[in-house]
Amino acid sequence: MTRATSKQQQQGFTLIELLTALGIFLVICGAAFTLLGSSQQRYQTESQVLTSFQEARLGLDQIVRDVNDAGFPPPTFTDGNPTHFASSPFAWSSGSGYAVTRCQIGTAGGGTCTTATDSSPGDFDLIIETNPNPQDPSCAPNCKVQWIRYQLQGTTLMRAMVDKGPTGTDPDVATSPNLAPFVQNVVNNSTAAQIAQYQLTHPGMFPGGNPMPIFSYTCDTPSAPQPQPPPCPGAGADNSPANIRDVMITLIVSAPTPDATTGVPRIVQLSGRGRRVNPNQ
Amino acid sequence: MNARSTIRKRPSEAGIALLISIFILLLISVVAIALIVASGTETSLAGNYRSATGVYYASLAGLEEARERVLPKDPNSFKNTAPANFLHSPGNTLAIGEVRYVLNPGPTENIANILAAYPDTEYDNEFGGGALAGVVAAGNRMTTASVWNRNPLNSLPVPGPLYKWVRINGITEQSLNLDVFPHDLVIDPKLVYYDGTNLNDTGSGSQVLEITSLAVLPNGSQKLLQYLAAPNPLNLPNFPAAISLAGNSANTLPANSLSYSGPNSASFNVDGADSFHNPFGSCTATATVYTGIGYTNTSDTSQANIKCCQVTGHPNNYLGTGGVKPNVLPVTMPPTLQTPDDYNKLVQAITQNADVILTPGSSTTPAPYTAYGSDLTAATAGIANTNPMTVVINGDLDLNAWNHTGYGLLLVTGNLNYDPDATWEGIVLVIGKGTFTGTKGGAGRFDGATLVAQTVDPGTGAPLASLGPASITFGAGMGGVGFYYSSCWIKNSLPTASYKILSFREISQ
Repeated sequence: MTRATSKQQQQGFTLIELLTALGIFLVICGAAFTLLGSSQQRYQTESQVLTSFQEARLGLDQIVRDVNDAGFPPPTFTDGNPTHFASSPFAWSSGSGYAVTRCQIGTAGGGTCTTATDSSPGDFDLIIETNPNPQDPSCAPNCKVQWIRYQLQGTTLMRAMVDKGPTGTDPDVATSPNLAPFVQNVVNNSTAAQIAQYQLTHPGMFPGGNPMPIFSYTCDTPSAPQPQPPPCPGAGADNSPANIRDVMITLIVSAPTPDATTGVPRIVQLSGRGRRVNPNQ
Repeated sequence: MNARSTIRKRPSEAGIALLISIFILLLISVVAIALIVASGTETSLAGNYRSATGVYYASLAGLEEARERVLPKDPNSFKNTAPANFLHSPGNTLAIGEVRYVLNPGPTENIANILAAYPDTEYDNEFGGGALAGVVAAGNRMTTASVWNRNPLNSLPVPGPLYKWVRINGITEQSLNLDVFPHDLVIDPKLVYYDGTNLNDTGSGSQVLEITSLAVLPNGSQKLLQYLAAPNPLNLPNFPAAISLAGNSANTLPANSLSYSGPNSASFNVDGADSFHNPFGSCTATATVYTGIGYTNTSDTSQANIKCCQVTGHPNNYLGTGGVKPNVLPVTMPPTLQTPDDYNKLVQAITQNADVILTPGSSTTPAPYTAYGSDLTAATAGIANTNPMTVVINGDLDLNAWNHTGYGLLLVTGNLNYDPDATWEGIVLVIGKGTFTGTKGGAGRFDGATLVAQTVDPGTGAPLASLGPASITFGAGMGGVGFYYSSCWIKNSLPTASYKILSFREISQ
């Protein structure tokens, strides 16, 4: 009698109980995996944004450092060889008169620094003259100044670093073959349609629906000093690469793929400012 | 029986809720951790940028403090706040191996340990391994506190910029790793100078100082920035003559004419030939011959007022350009010096950069409101050829019995009464009343250039619309050796307006 009673107590779950438990389990698992998948997509998108952000931030820091050091060493350090000192903190092409005739910096393709093949200094192009490592024992006694160029090509910001050439060398020609990818997915110079799409989710970017210059400039005004350097295009006769004081840098980068959950492009804007401290030249 | 009892209790352990709960908690934890990691990365990136910018400006603050404090006229100048010989007097250089530090410890740091806590490795990079240790061993390292560690800023409840130290030292071609003028292709260990145009190692111009600043943030971010800087003289116009009398050439009324009357002395000369009396340093006189007495008014009686009397009586004592004797010729002042307003701006610029400003009428100079030689002596203690001063007298100056030699720039806005016991090596400007007098005997002289211009009514002090009749009136019995043009003394006496930044660079670490 005792054994029969024990068997009845171990009869287990009923089918209804099992089905109910299984149903609840599946619902919970479904919700959990849906959440996990969504989170993975979100994480993937955010990772891409952060990767682009980090790459752009490192690029921006490098540009700021180069601009800060622009014009070193100045012409007062001359030994008679122009490859050993900076003729100007910022170079322009021979087509625009480098280094004798100073060009006028414009925006949106304006100014006389912009030619058919070159636009430095311009909205998306900049050539810096500096010697980033004057103490390098391998080049003593007179280490050469470098031309460091940043140029936006499509959505890639390119960088080149070459020795400054002797008198008559065109900075544009010297640096162009050496440009290498530096920052990817830079969308500052997007088409109007792309800009319109970006503005749907980032209405504060691309003011006026126009491309956003990577580089904008202020110029010292030695002829009529002002408390603050005005934008170069408004500096009149002082508008020249030799008088650039500040370079404002704006990088807008996008993630390589649109947001996996919403399908819209993810873009981030970074800003910085480099200030040339070396003397006017 | 015990086993059977155990089996009967098992139904109370059935259920799956705990497993499901743990599983869900695990999923949520994974998602949460992923989000935390993502936002953490973003925060870290933003923080890096903030650090990089902050440490850059902290280091720049150190450079700017040192660049200001090397100026003798700065309220916190090293001359007044640092130990003696921290910077040598003007004309003397910081030798190779003389290194100066401005220390800026934080609130919890000890100023005595700051150089040990943040060692200067860059000096050895520039001057060779072990160079700094040699400096320390020779006792040639001197330190002083930053303005943030001195009264009154040290009592502020906010910390100053987070630079740790600023080093000031001279440089050589070797430390620069650069061959400067005269381009001999030899990197030698001679001091580098700046002559206003180029760096050189010939001793021409002023010594170039290297100013290096290290900033370190609490998070460990470091930045090492470096200036090369040199004294930037106040830009004064060129002086066309040993004595220049500036007036209004458009006003032809005799009352507006310039005038000069010299002593009846065969040993008194006014000579426009560039010379360097009592030479020192590396400057040499040029071969240029300037005008003896230059005047601007060509259409009135100025020439007659000047070229007469003792001047025509001693034609060989007034020498200058073209061999004309007596050398009294019209000159043209620079375009920036044409009107009283132009001269007032010049006076203002000089006053802003003056070492000494005396205003007669104060308690030390009672009525008739004249500064005397005794006032000048007290105010210019330490004046020397290697320590020229810019002295501004806001009123009359009477040098009677001042038996001294002055060096630098002397600006008098009232009457300057000269006693030839005195000598002045440098620039003398009498701008304001525009009257220059003298009657006494002596053997003093002027080397440099003298300019007299009248911008106010001598009687009322009212400003004039155009330059008035400036005058130099020396008594016939006055002594003295005279006025000699000297470009070297002019150059030596120019006030230092600032230390010009010759170059800037960020040093990789």
